[in-house]
Amino acid sequence: MLAFAARRLAVSLALVWVVATLVFLVIHMIPGDPAELLLAQGGVAPDPALVADLRERLGLDQPLWTQYATYMGGLLQGDFGLSLQDEHAVADEIALRLPRTLELVATAGLLSVLIGLPAGVLAGLRAGQLTDRILSGIAALALSIPVFVIGTLAVLLLAQKLRLVSAGGYVPFATDPLRHIGLLLMPAGTIAFGLAAVVLRVTRGAVLEVLEREHVRAARARGLPAGAIIRRHVLRNSLTPVVTVVALHLGALLGGTVLVEFVFNWPGLSGYLVRSVEARDYPEVMGIVLVVSAIFVLLNFLVDMLYAVIDPRVRQG
Amino acid sequence: MATLPTTRRAVMAGAALLPFLRMPQARAKTPGVLTFGLSSYPPTIQPWANSGTAAATIKLMIYRGLTSYSADGKLQPELAESWTRETDTSWVFKLRDAKFQNGEKVTSADIKWTFEQIAGERSTAYFRSEVQGFERVETPDDLTVRIVTKQPTVTLPVWMASYHLPIISRNSPRGQFVGAGPFVLKGQERGVSLDLEPFEGYYKPGLPKLRGIRVVAYADENLRTAALQSGDVDLIEYVPWQAMDAIAANPGLSLDAVDGAFMFLVFNGSKPPFNDARVRKAVAHAINRDDLVKAAFFGRGSGLAHLPIPESSAFYNADFKDGWKYDPALSKKLLADAGHGGGINCSLLSTAQYGMHKDTAEVVQQHLAAVGINVTLNLPDWATRVAVGNRGQYDMAVMGTAADSNDPDGLASFIDGALSPSYVRSFGLKTERITQLLAAGRAEFDETKRRAIYREMEQVAIEEAPMVGLTWRSQGYAMRKAVTGFRNLPGALTFYSGLTFETAAVG
Repeated sequence: MLAFAARRLAVSLALVWVVATLVFLVIHMIPGDPAELLLAQGGVAPDPALVADLRERLGLDQPLWTQYATYMGGLLQGDFGLSLQDEHAVADEIALRLPRTLELVATAGLLSVLIGLPAGVLAGLRAGQLTDRILSGIAALALSIPVFVIGTLAVLLLAQKLRLVSAGGYVPFATDPLRHIGLLLMPAGTIAFGLAAVVLRVTRGAVLEVLEREHVRAARARGLPAGAIIRRHVLRNSLTPVVTVVALHLGALLGGTVLVEFVFNWPGLSGYLVRSVEARDYPEVMGIVLVVSAIFVLLNFLVDMLYAVIDPRVRQG
Repeated sequence: MATLPTTRRAVMAGAALLPFLRMPQARAKTPGVLTFGLSSYPPTIQPWANSGTAAATIKLMIYRGLTSYSADGKLQPELAESWTRETDTSWVFKLRDAKFQNGEKVTSADIKWTFEQIAGERSTAYFRSEVQGFERVETPDDLTVRIVTKQPTVTLPVWMASYHLPIISRNSPRGQFVGAGPFVLKGQERGVSLDLEPFEGYYKPGLPKLRGIRVVAYADENLRTAALQSGDVDLIEYVPWQAMDAIAANPGLSLDAVDGAFMFLVFNGSKPPFNDARVRKAVAHAINRDDLVKAAFFGRGSGLAHLPIPESSAFYNADFKDGWKYDPALSKKLLADAGHGGGINCSLLSTAQYGMHKDTAEVVQQHLAAVGINVTLNLPDWATRVAVGNRGQYDMAVMGTAADSNDPDGLASFIDGALSPSYVRSFGLKTERITQLLAAGRAEFDETKRRAIYREMEQVAIEEAPMVGLTWRSQGYAMRKAVTGFRNLPGALTFYSGLTFETAAVG
């Protein structure tokens, strides 16, 4: 088991290294020079001598492999470097923003399960009936509308017309907990809208499948109350695929909440990544992509370990 | 299977969340504190660097220079209470009794120190080369500064008003910049917001009126507008053109828009076909600017068929108003004269990152096709567009910006071919006569003679078309009616409107 764990860990670390190298090469390959951009704000011409000076100061005049070695050396010591724009520590900024994106994604996941699971069970139980058709119709609609449309409509309706909520923004929980939650619910709800549809569909499918199984029929034949059958036999057995799908989606959302963060001015990691790419802020882009991919790799590693614990055959392979 | 306990529980959980959703105007507003929706979070607020207009607006809250502008755009004394020109190259500025935000007096030594930092070896100051053109800075006494320039420079007092030239205390802690402006930066959350408080020792009695400014960055223009309409913010900048009508019609809001910034075309003058002035002129006459204003700016702007000198300027030449008027027949003739009667295939560089740049490029493409110039659009992101532009890897490009000031010398950036290659001007295009005239205008102190110089310069520019003006675009601020005292400065000075935060109040 220990050997297996060590092997998987080595593979995981190698993966992170590959990602770091790839991202480093790609971001340096695309056109656009951070020094030039920094001095060319507001549509004015930067003095080439100034650009050269700044490039030198930022170390951008070094050969690529030197920059690579310096960066990797820093990484090994846990140093993500400083922002090229204002010399702010990249690690600090990630530490500030990652929890916000995690909070957003987790809340969206929770909301989508709260809505999608019961609706999916209902649709499964009433398969083919009107309730099922309505719920499935709504789900199809929710799946096909992009998040920025839902988000913009929500802002228009709830903030501009009804004036129920703020149009977006962020307030730290410590400053004003109630307002924090209020501001969180709009973007989280927007993500949850589409995600709940996914949960509904998967749940519905799983419920339909479980309902056909013999132990459910047997339970029914034994005269157990409907509620108990659903709770004990149907729901529990339908949960596995739902959990898998939700976990997969939440993982993907980690770096994919850009649009929602943008529409609601939520200062999370995704929006930060986009701004960093726009400014060609190499250390920031590298830092964010590395952290997100490391979380992915770590999750995969944990899942592998879990499988190995459950099924000894995995360990041999 | 009639009972569904899970559903019931979910509904109850959902209901429990409802009270959080209902937060009618729970905005925790402090009286006298203005909330300002900025278009982007400034990359840095380093006082002398040019880090964009969003940063400039914040700088105008915190810092002040020797001169500045009044709300109607006139140059006015600021930290200097007066200035005189002793000779063609020597200027004397008399300082007033003003304090920095660390409580120390603003003295001539601070002015000298500021210029030394700007001209310094590792400086990234926007005015570095201009300040390096100072022969010396003398400080005869605490409140007198004499600037001796190497060349006669008529625009020196205008430079001093630039938001890239604020005066900083020489006793600022290392890495910090203590200014003498009306507001003090109290806190900031990077990428999100900045909080400013009034500086009690500001030299103007009774100002600033606000008890604070909370600046929140809204990068999405629609959300910025929504935030104003829903009451989250009191004031926004960069009002999107499509929202201007709705804001003007809203009884609770007011719109303050001026034609300030402009859109134009630049060329690659280092190779055919655009090294030929006739071809550039053909482009200039092929574009219907009214269509462009309607299509790209929702009618919020006006055509620009000459150099971007606003009508309000003393240097405006009414007879060049239609210098590059829409005339497809003339355009075709010019092309034929230049040996391109069969048409031209070329590329047009712009960016998909900003709607106004992309829309302008698309309309220009249509109009050019009508005279036989077939344009392929190249629309990378802004960073790539800047790099490609600086390296001259294009045939023709769309640009949009505002001049440094309302003085015609501010046009040098766009039409002086002797300057180093830059994406804001044509690439590899020599404009000798224009370079001479710009130099002459900079050294001429007689206003009438200066006007004649810039008149000739515009005439040459219309013939040679080193840039082609397309449209003035409306640059707007929108605010709740309760906001008073904030003004959008005229013309190119629109990005100096942040100066009027000192007189702004919110009811």
